[in-house]
Amino acid sequence: MSMTVILGAWIAVFLTFGIFSYLYKDNPFYKTAEHLFVGISAGYWASIFFWTQIQPNLFGRLWPSSEFSAESLWYKIYNGLSFLSTSVFPPGGIDKGHDMHLSYLIPFALGIMMLLSLIPKLNWFARWGIAYTVGMAAGLRAYGYLNSNVLGQIKGTAASFTDPNMPFFSLTSVSTFNSLVILVGTITGLLYFYFSKEHKGVLGKASKVGIYFLMISFGASFGFAVMGRISLLIGRFVDLIKYSAGDYNNATLWVLVIMLIILGYDAFKSRKTPPVNEEAV
Amino acid sequence: MKALEDLILKIGKVDRRWIFLVLAIAVFIPIIKPIGMPIRATETTKVVFNTIENLPENSKVLVSIEYSPSTKPENHPMTISILRHLFRNNHKVFVTCLWPDGQFMAQDALKQVAEEEFGKVYGEDYVFLGFRPGNEAVIKGIVSNIRKLYTVDVYQTKIDEIPLMDGIKNFKDFAFLFSCSAGYPGTVEWVQYAADPTGVPMSSGVTSIQVNEVMPYVQSGQMKGVLAGMPGAAEYEALMGQKGFATSGMDAQSIAHLVIVLFIILGNAAFFIERKRSRKY
Amino acid sequence: MIWKRQIPILIVAFIGALTLFGWFVEEPNIKAFVDDDATQWYDILASFAIILGAMNLMKMQIQKVARQKKGWPYSIVAIFGFLFAITAGFFIKGVDDSVAVWGAHVTTEGTLFKWIFDYMFTPLSATMFSLLAFFVASASYRAFRIRNFEASLLLVAGIIIMVGRVPIGSLISSWVIMYIIVLALGIGVNTWKKDKKITFGVVGVGIIIVTVAGMMTGWPLDKPAIFYLPIIQEWIYYYPNVAGTRAIMIGVGLGIFATSIRYILGIEKSYIGE
Repeated sequence: MSMTVILGAWIAVFLTFGIFSYLYKDNPFYKTAEHLFVGISAGYWASIFFWTQIQPNLFGRLWPSSEFSAESLWYKIYNGLSFLSTSVFPPGGIDKGHDMHLSYLIPFALGIMMLLSLIPKLNWFARWGIAYTVGMAAGLRAYGYLNSNVLGQIKGTAASFTDPNMPFFSLTSVSTFNSLVILVGTITGLLYFYFSKEHKGVLGKASKVGIYFLMISFGASFGFAVMGRISLLIGRFVDLIKYSAGDYNNATLWVLVIMLIILGYDAFKSRKTPPVNEEAV
Repeated sequence: MKALEDLILKIGKVDRRWIFLVLAIAVFIPIIKPIGMPIRATETTKVVFNTIENLPENSKVLVSIEYSPSTKPENHPMTISILRHLFRNNHKVFVTCLWPDGQFMAQDALKQVAEEEFGKVYGEDYVFLGFRPGNEAVIKGIVSNIRKLYTVDVYQTKIDEIPLMDGIKNFKDFAFLFSCSAGYPGTVEWVQYAADPTGVPMSSGVTSIQVNEVMPYVQSGQMKGVLAGMPGAAEYEALMGQKGFATSGMDAQSIAHLVIVLFIILGNAAFFIERKRSRKY
Repeated sequence: MIWKRQIPILIVAFIGALTLFGWFVEEPNIKAFVDDDATQWYDILASFAIILGAMNLMKMQIQKVARQKKGWPYSIVAIFGFLFAITAGFFIKGVDDSVAVWGAHVTTEGTLFKWIFDYMFTPLSATMFSLLAFFVASASYRAFRIRNFEASLLLVAGIIIMVGRVPIGSLISSWVIMYIIVLALGIGVNTWKKDKKITFGVVGVGIIIVTVAGMMTGWPLDKPAIFYLPIIQEWIYYYPNVAGTRAIMIGVGLGIFATSIRYILGIEKSYIGE
């Protein structure tokens, strides 16, 4: 096992136990791991988004290698940028299979405006870029949700009660009873959310039935939530067991023992030393 | 009886850190000492399996990976099993990612299954297109013109130079979509912007927390079955006849669930005893 | 003022309307722009937004250190983490060009960036999520109470899903469930009638019926199917659960449609702080 892998394993175990130590109480190990997570996530995501989108799809369309010309002013600007960073702007243009699209100067300008909004006086600059993304998201979502979440679901709720081949009752397959359960449950569930009329009389009884169906859904969601969290915990324990092996110099055991000693000593010290405000009283 | 009631009340007031410890032990022990409980596949898992099994030979299948290492224990076994199934049946696999960390997950899965297990040839049997940011806009891009969105694959090779990409212009050129998803963007967006508008069949593997969100799509036929969390992954492994990580985690999952149910029953018992005593006074 | 207010609203209205009607328009130039270039611009701006977020985060951490606010040493850790990841992303690949060129290095094995992903980012993010397992257990124990019929429905559905969905559920015989139902019936009768004789009578008769039926059929594990946990779980999961979830889904879908139209018409202006 190489040194980088063993070092990596020890760091991974330390960070894992650091986060788990929060279960005992908030402590410097947890705070260190948490802040490291914040910093690394920010750097990681910035790098990924830059290299997978901005460099190939934006710069690759503004300065494609297929249209490189050393004499043109546009590529002279590129050569200047290349002087600053040959990794981002390799010599001869960016070769990602694109043609030149100068219209991409618009998202480039909007993107630069977004970054300039870090300066307090210019923080309104970000609004144009945000407006574009909001507008696009609104247009996409309006159709998507109406088609799939409303019309698609209404179609799915429709039941056939005249099919002679459908059994009346079946636990595991389509049946008249099951179709009725879905139909009644969906309609009464929707009626519960109808607040334009007071829930009295028939509407009141129907919305009560609707609550029962909603409670069953919430119970099922709770069950699945528990299932999901336990699965993730199993994953962490499996990794910790893997890193306790001799190949990794028993990282898990050593880190656990050292952390327990430090946290135990801290707990022992805080029991011996009474809190300051009690003394003042 | 009174002694038992007092004991239950005492347990009801215990420090939550003892609960954490009991849960940790309940999860840890079955991992190191497996029990080997039998796994019974549910209907929704069987539908996914049968849909893939009935795909015509040499079908072009799009597999979209949108999960991060945080949900690896749930989603990764599904990806592995699905890729095994697709490669076993000699289908052509195209892998995309809507999440940046999904790219690493996809890479690990392809290395394990495509390269090491099946010896598949990159560019002829499978293509790894990689991650693009933009959420549902990426899906829209794939639906309308995949070649404009992906000009290079994840290894920076031009799409035009990859033999398997010949004839692939948009989403309708695929016979099937499998999305392994842990949240947004993921299954819901694929249903709304790809499967529903185009009619291309899709299935999905989701985290347990997301299951309830996508069940209406499964019931209405907008999705062909679903793999629900780690249990769903374990069921698929059982159907494939190849045990993996998910199967090994099910013992710990079962015991942990029983422990939590026990906690809930104990908590409620303490609640009822306390309520009975306060009514007495 | 026009730059800060009217133009953003105009951008949202124009782009929103173009994207929405782009679903229904077949004119090739508009369709090509909406489906391809507009989508690419959205992706690019999304990337800039992420980079802005990262830079903003670091700006806050640097300010915390400069002003020596409470917990400032930890902000140094955050800044160190950020600089380490940026160094791996832009300055030190850890491998030469034959293994991975710049751009491909973010996904290639052996690079410093991949090392950070495997041994720092992955353990941190996975452990953060798995921490919630403990809090779910603790919350279930301390807060999950059967105070009324609706809460009991929630609890019973949750328990059936939790136990029925895992292998241990298929090992629990349907006869055990029948005995539990008889006992629960007894509790219900006792709450209603408050008469020990009636309660014992009901429970006794129930136990006798179940025992006789079991003895006659040979105690099959999964029959009657209506009391077998995995089957009950599957029915609840596929029918009443879907009904409730679908009601919420339709409601949310209508809400999102309405909100999107409000954004496009300029009624909703929260993105500019109004």
